[in-house]
This record gives sequence, structure tokens and C-alpha cells, in this order.
Amino acid sequence: MRRYFDWEGWSFTAVFALLSLITILVLIGPTIVIMMLSFTGEETLHFPPTHYSLRWYRALLDANELQDAFIISIKVAAITVVASVVLGVSAAMTIARSKSPWMRGLETLFMSPLILPALAFGFAALMMFSLLGFRPSTFTLSIGHIVVCVPFVLRTTLASLAQLDPALLDCSVSLGASDLYTFRRITLPLIGRGVASGGFIAFMSSFDNVPVSLFLQDARTQVLPIYLWDIIQNQLDSRAASACGVIIIATIVLMVLMERFAGFSRFMK
Amino acid sequence: MAAAATEKSREWQLALPLTAFFALFFVAPLLLVIGISFQATRRMTGGLGLNQYAAFLGDSLNVEVLTDTLLLGVKATLLCLIFGYPLAWLFTRVSAKLQSLLIFLVILPIVTSVVVRTFAWIVILGRHGMVNDTIVALGLSAQPLHLLFSEAGVVIVLTQVQMPLMVLPLITVLQRIDPNLASASSALGAGAWRTFFKITLPLSMPGIIAGTILTYTACVTAFVTQSLIGGSRLLYMPMMIFQQAMDLQNWPFAAAVSVIFMISVLLIVALLVALSRGRAARLYG
Amino acid sequence: MPFPISRRHLLAGSAALAGMSALPRGVFAADELVAATFGGTWANVQKEILAPYFSKKSGATVVQSPMLATAQIAKLTAAKGGPAPFDVAMLDEGPALEAIDAGLIAKYDAAKSPNFAGLYPQFQGEYGPAITMQAIGIAYNPKTVKTPPTSWADLWKPEYKGRVGITSLASTLGLAFLLDINRLEGGTEADMTPAFKKLKTLLPNLAAVSANFGAHGALFRQNEIDIGVQNFNFAEELKAKGVPIEFVRVSTGTPAWKTTMHVVKGALKPDLAYAYVDSQLAPDVQAAMQKTPWNVVPTSTKVPYEGIVASKIAKTPDDLKKMVFFDWKKVNQGRAAWTQQFNREIRV
Repeated sequence: MRRYFDWEGWSFTAVFALLSLITILVLIGPTIVIMMLSFTGEETLHFPPTHYSLRWYRALLDANELQDAFIISIKVAAITVVASVVLGVSAAMTIARSKSPWMRGLETLFMSPLILPALAFGFAALMMFSLLGFRPSTFTLSIGHIVVCVPFVLRTTLASLAQLDPALLDCSVSLGASDLYTFRRITLPLIGRGVASGGFIAFMSSFDNVPVSLFLQDARTQVLPIYLWDIIQNQLDSRAASACGVIIIATIVLMVLMERFAGFSRFMK
Repeated sequence: MAAAATEKSREWQLALPLTAFFALFFVAPLLLVIGISFQATRRMTGGLGLNQYAAFLGDSLNVEVLTDTLLLGVKATLLCLIFGYPLAWLFTRVSAKLQSLLIFLVILPIVTSVVVRTFAWIVILGRHGMVNDTIVALGLSAQPLHLLFSEAGVVIVLTQVQMPLMVLPLITVLQRIDPNLASASSALGAGAWRTFFKITLPLSMPGIIAGTILTYTACVTAFVTQSLIGGSRLLYMPMMIFQQAMDLQNWPFAAAVSVIFMISVLLIVALLVALSRGRAARLYG
Repeated sequence: MPFPISRRHLLAGSAALAGMSALPRGVFAADELVAATFGGTWANVQKEILAPYFSKKSGATVVQSPMLATAQIAKLTAAKGGPAPFDVAMLDEGPALEAIDAGLIAKYDAAKSPNFAGLYPQFQGEYGPAITMQAIGIAYNPKTVKTPPTSWADLWKPEYKGRVGITSLASTLGLAFLLDINRLEGGTEADMTPAFKKLKTLLPNLAAVSANFGAHGALFRQNEIDIGVQNFNFAEELKAKGVPIEFVRVSTGTPAWKTTMHVVKGALKPDLAYAYVDSQLAPDVQAAMQKTPWNVVPTSTKVPYEGIVASKIAKTPDDLKKMVFFDWKKVNQGRAAWTQQFNREIRV
């Protein structure tokens, strides 16, 4: 193609490739470290492990409190996803169609939990719930999570609605189909993948939330990330690493499934 | 006409549940924080005033913590941009199979527990961690470097943790740029670097701005990373809010700190948005 | 690496105590108590010894929620006037006074607690009994620190440049260390200037100032710090887990404080709360908790000091009285200002 050695093109590619390589290494490094730690054969977490075993994975089987924390986090994340999807998708339907500046304002409001300090929100919500006389519970915790997770669903749903041809909907309606029917048969199948991707991100972000949970979790239920932190720090409990190993493997499996069935990565962009 | 009007109102109804939910559980708590920040005393006995704000601004330490926090975000965001951009660029140049793998690697940090990731970083950056072992073994330094509990460490970890927020919008934008533009540029004799700086970079500005907003806000508010990698000798705003609210039970002051912090972040976001509007106007206007 | 004690031993040892069985789990018992505990050693020891004992006695179950003292107070304050978020609080001396002042804690009715009378008088608090005495000293890694330290002054030695760890004032450990430095430098609780002046000279030696007590322990394990201030119980538990760590008391007197348990005001299950606190005072429980690796200093007259507690902390109750105590009322008044000054002084 080129008649002479393209020094500039070569240096450009080299620099960009090198930077990308470093980035990739940094991105996956911590995950690899944790996976190695989770197979440690030692009593306490120490890197690198002197020998490897499955003992801490076996120890998970009768780690009751860890399992409890896991179940609570799954429960809260599930409530969060369902509520975020119901609230977020219906709001997105309106926002996507409307051109009113009020709607733009609302959209900004709904997205703002993404850019405001979650810790400040957690603190604010704790004060409000205590003023209202609510005892912290799974309920209050879920509400807090929904607020910070709705933006994810809203964003991906709006993105997929933007790709939806409005003529399709007009066709359906003008052919006499009811709105509900149109939504069920036309809109939902077309935006379903966007919604699923948003739901997945909302699930993961609720499952991993620390700042809001720190303030809103109740005394009898500890969510998984906070419990993990407690046992890593205070007790140097090696089950923390194997629990993380399980989470990472489960996440990877979930991501592969999401990619296969929802084309997840397209909606992350 | 009538049909259009009812349709309008029905459309509004769909947004109502979320609007009500946000009014109740997002706007109301934030208003409450603003209200409490005007309480004059720690015991919240009723007297109102600007005491908490005066106390915050009256101590140079607090102001330094605020600027440190905002600067920390700048450093980490810049690093995300410098290292994330090439990765996004690489993404647009490889096969679909490799693309899936890359996107998977980029998303992985978002979906692995922040607590776990941070612990891994303590292992990597520690005095006897992998990085220091390598540095000492290579003879680059006789003493292990202080990476943990230093700002450099916090910046490195934030860069990794928040990288996806930068890379994903960049990928979107870079994919939309017409490759013919770059070809035309090089056909006209411009080298790769020149083409990049004159064509690709300006055209990807919207993605850079979007990524910057997301990354920046995530970096300045990252409580877990800041406090665990930074330790107590580096104080940032989220930790200060936590310290005042939980350790010292000084809610009015914690509320004032929260308000000041939120306003600062919002101002910076507004600035970035204005910047992007200006650029968009110049490019396409 | 050989481990003197394995998990299995611990479980066997504590189970032998009362021939108790594991908690029935997943059964939502009608009677469920929610009790706060500290993280780390305390969460472990209370789960393995106190919870089964209490369940056997009362037929109820208990959820033990690990929370820093300050977090307990924050949650109680937030819920003030409404139903309490938990029934039993566990606090160090300073936070306990704060909670009492804020009206978060009910007066302790000794009549509902048969074991209360069996405590040494110094531990019979009006608002709740002291369940132990916590002492601090220096912990060091014997592999890297060859000469055992004897006083706080050793932390200032040039050879420990960049190797010392302390904690912030969010933990009683950090607070007590600062107060003791102040005392030795001639200050009082009303005037902390000498402590901060001295602290400044420690900066070159500091490897880390942990934001909380838990993070501090992990740093010893990961060899981030070789020497530093540490709590007796926690250091001994790490040692039992095979971490190279030794605990020594300092020659200038051992700073110590009481850790107390309280029935909170507005507790949903006040009777169970009393039964729970009383179980913690039972001689059987305290004797079991005194065993290695827990080494919890007993407060009951019926439990003689033994083992590591006797060899390192106190042989008689009078030994406890010789420790260094602080005026926590004054500490509470100064804490907010000190925290701010601490933030300022240690900033990089």
C-alpha cells in the first residue's frame, strides 16, 4: 500500500497499542489476584499464596452468615431491579417521545443520582426515614437502591427507544391495535434487550452498593459487600476471597449469558 | 385535537410514578439535607443560621480538602482518558470476535465487587506487593515505594475502577466517525498523528465529554476507594461527610459539607456540559 | 507455617463449654433479639460463646450485628423517638457516656440481672455493666523487629522510619494512644497541645494511619506495618491465627478502658435484652471467653485471671486498677475539635 516506510503511522500504532495493552493489564490485574487468593491453602489471606487448595470454597458451604448476607443482597437487588425496570421503562416511554423542555428537566433529575455523591444521598435518606419514623429495613434499603439504580435502566432503555422507528408504532396504532397491545407486541420485543442490559447493570450496582447501604441497612441484616469488608478487615477471614471468587465466576457466567441473549455489550456503549 | 390532548396527558401519566418516587425519596431527602445544613447548632435545637457554612469556609483545612478532592478527580479522569482512549481506538480496529472480548474486559471491573477489587489493590500496591517487588527486583529503586496510602495510589486505583465509564462512551463515538474522513486525510498527505489530532480527536469530543462527566463524578465520590487506599492521612470530601455524620454525630455540619460538595460537583458538570455545547456549536453550527 | 490453633479447635473448645448445639438457622423464631457487637474478635467470641449460651437459657435467638461504637450511636440517634434499631448496645467508655447523655440508653435494672451482683463493684455501672477491660500497648512483627519495644518512645526510633502504624481518632484505640502521649508530655484532657506537638514528630515514621480499627489489623497481616499501637485482644487473636505478631505493654503504664453493655431505650425486647447482657456476665461465659485466642479480661468476681490474661494483663483485680485511665467526659467534649486537628496534623 505504502511506497515508503510510514514512520509516523508506525509510531502512532505502537504508542496506541502499548497504552491499550497497559490498560488491559491494569483492568484485569485485580481480578486475577483475587482469583489466585481465593485458592489459597493458607490460614489467612496473604499474597502470593504459598500453596493452593479448594479449602476456602468448601468452607463456604457452612458459612451461614455469609450465605445470609448473600441472600439479603440478592433479595434487595431483585426488588431494586424489578422496581427500577417498571418505573424506569414507563418513564422512558414518555421521555423518549416528548420534546417538552419539562421532560428534559425530568430526565436530568432522574439521571442525577449518577453524578451526585451517593454517600450524601445515603445520609440524607437516613435522616428522612428517621424523621418519618421508619425503622431501617430491607424496605428502606431497597428504596435507597432504587433511586441510585433507576438511571441505569433509564439510560439503556432510552438508547434502545432512540433506535426504534416511530413509524412502526404509528402503523400499529393506525391499524387499530390498542396501546397495550402495541407495547407488548412491538415496543417491548424491540427494546427488550436494552431493558435487560439496564436491569443487569442495576442488579450488579445494587448488589455491590456500599455508600447507600452503609446508612440504610438495618441492624439485623448486613448486605454482602459490607459483610465481606468486615470479615476481610476485622477477621482476615479467608472465606472472603473464595466468596469473591464465586461472585466473579457467577458474574462472568451471567455476563456471557446476557451477551448471548440480550446483546448486552451493545447497550453498554 | 381532543385526542392529541388526552394522548399528551396519558403520556405524562407514564412518567408520574417515577416522578413521584423521586420527589419523595430523592428530592425530599436532599431538601432535608439543605434544611438541616442551616441549623445553627449540633444538637439542632432550632436556631437557624449560616453557622455551618461559616465553620466550613472559616477553616482552611476544609477548603483544602475540597480542592484536593476536586483535583483528585481531575488527575484520575485525565489518566482514564490517556489510557482509555487508545483502548477505545483499538476496539474500532479489531475483528468482531476480539471486540466482544475487549468489551468484556472493559466491563469486568464494573461488575466485580468494589470491596474485593480494593482489597486486591492493597495486595498489589503494598510495601511487599507485586509492583514494589518488581521495582526492587529490577533495581529501579532500593526502597519499596509508597504507593498505598498515597495520592498516587488512589489515582491509580480510581483509574482502574472507573475506566469503563470513560471507555464505553468513547467506543460509541469512535464507531460513528466515518472512516473515510481519516482515509481522505491521509490521502491528502497528513500523517497518522496529524490525522488523529486534526480529525479523529475533535470529532470524538462528545464522547470525551460524556466519559469525562461520568468518570469525574464517580472519582470524586468514590468513598470506598478513597478511604481504603488513601488511609486517614489523605482526607477527601466523602470521608469528611462520613466522619462528621457517623463519628462525630454532627449532622448539621455533615449536611453543610454535603451541600457544598454537591454544588461543587454540579458546577463542574455544568461547566463540562457548557463546554460540549460550545464545541458542538463550533463544529456543526 | 504451623498454626497452633485451628478453627476446628476453637469450635470444639467453645462448644465443650456448655455442651451446646448450633443455632437453629432459617427458623424465624418469634423471639429474636438484635444485639450490637464490635467487629473482629468481639464478633467472633460473642457468636461462638455468648449466642449459644443465651439461646439455651432464654429459648430465643439473637442476631449479632457488628458495628463501631460511633455507628451504634448514629443509628440510635437517627431512630430516637421511634422503635430502636437494636436492643442491646455494646460501647467503649467514651461513646457510652455520650449515649447516656443523649438519652439513648436505659438505666440498668440490677434486679433483672442475677449475675450483675457477682461483678467487681468498679464494673457495676448505673447504665449497664462493664463486660471487660480493654488494654492497649505495642504490637510488632518479631520477624522484622528484633529488639522488643518497651515504651511508646520506641515508635519514634529512626530505624522504624516508614514502618509504624496508628489509627485515626474514630477508634478508641487511636484516641487512647493520643491521650496517653499527651499525658506523658505533660498535657491534660483539657489541653491536647503537647500530644499534637509530639505526634508531628512521629510523621516520618508513619507508614499508615488507618481510617478504622479493622483496617489496622489487616496491615499487620500484609506486612505493611512492622510496629504500632494495638489492642491486646486483637493482637493475641492475630497471633493465634499464625500471624507473626507480639504484643507488649508499655513501661509507662497501660492505657485501658471499660467496655460496657447496655439495654437501649425503647428496646423492642427488653426482657431478652436483660437476659442477653446477663449471659455475658455469667461466670461460665466469661471463663470461656478468657481462654486463648480470645483472652477477654473477665469482670466477674467468680472468674479468676488465668492464661495470657494473667501473664500479660492482670493477676488480680487490683492490677487492673493500676492501669492508666482517662476522663472520658472531657474527651467527649474535645473529640470533635481534636478530630479536626488530627486531620490537619497528619495530612500528607
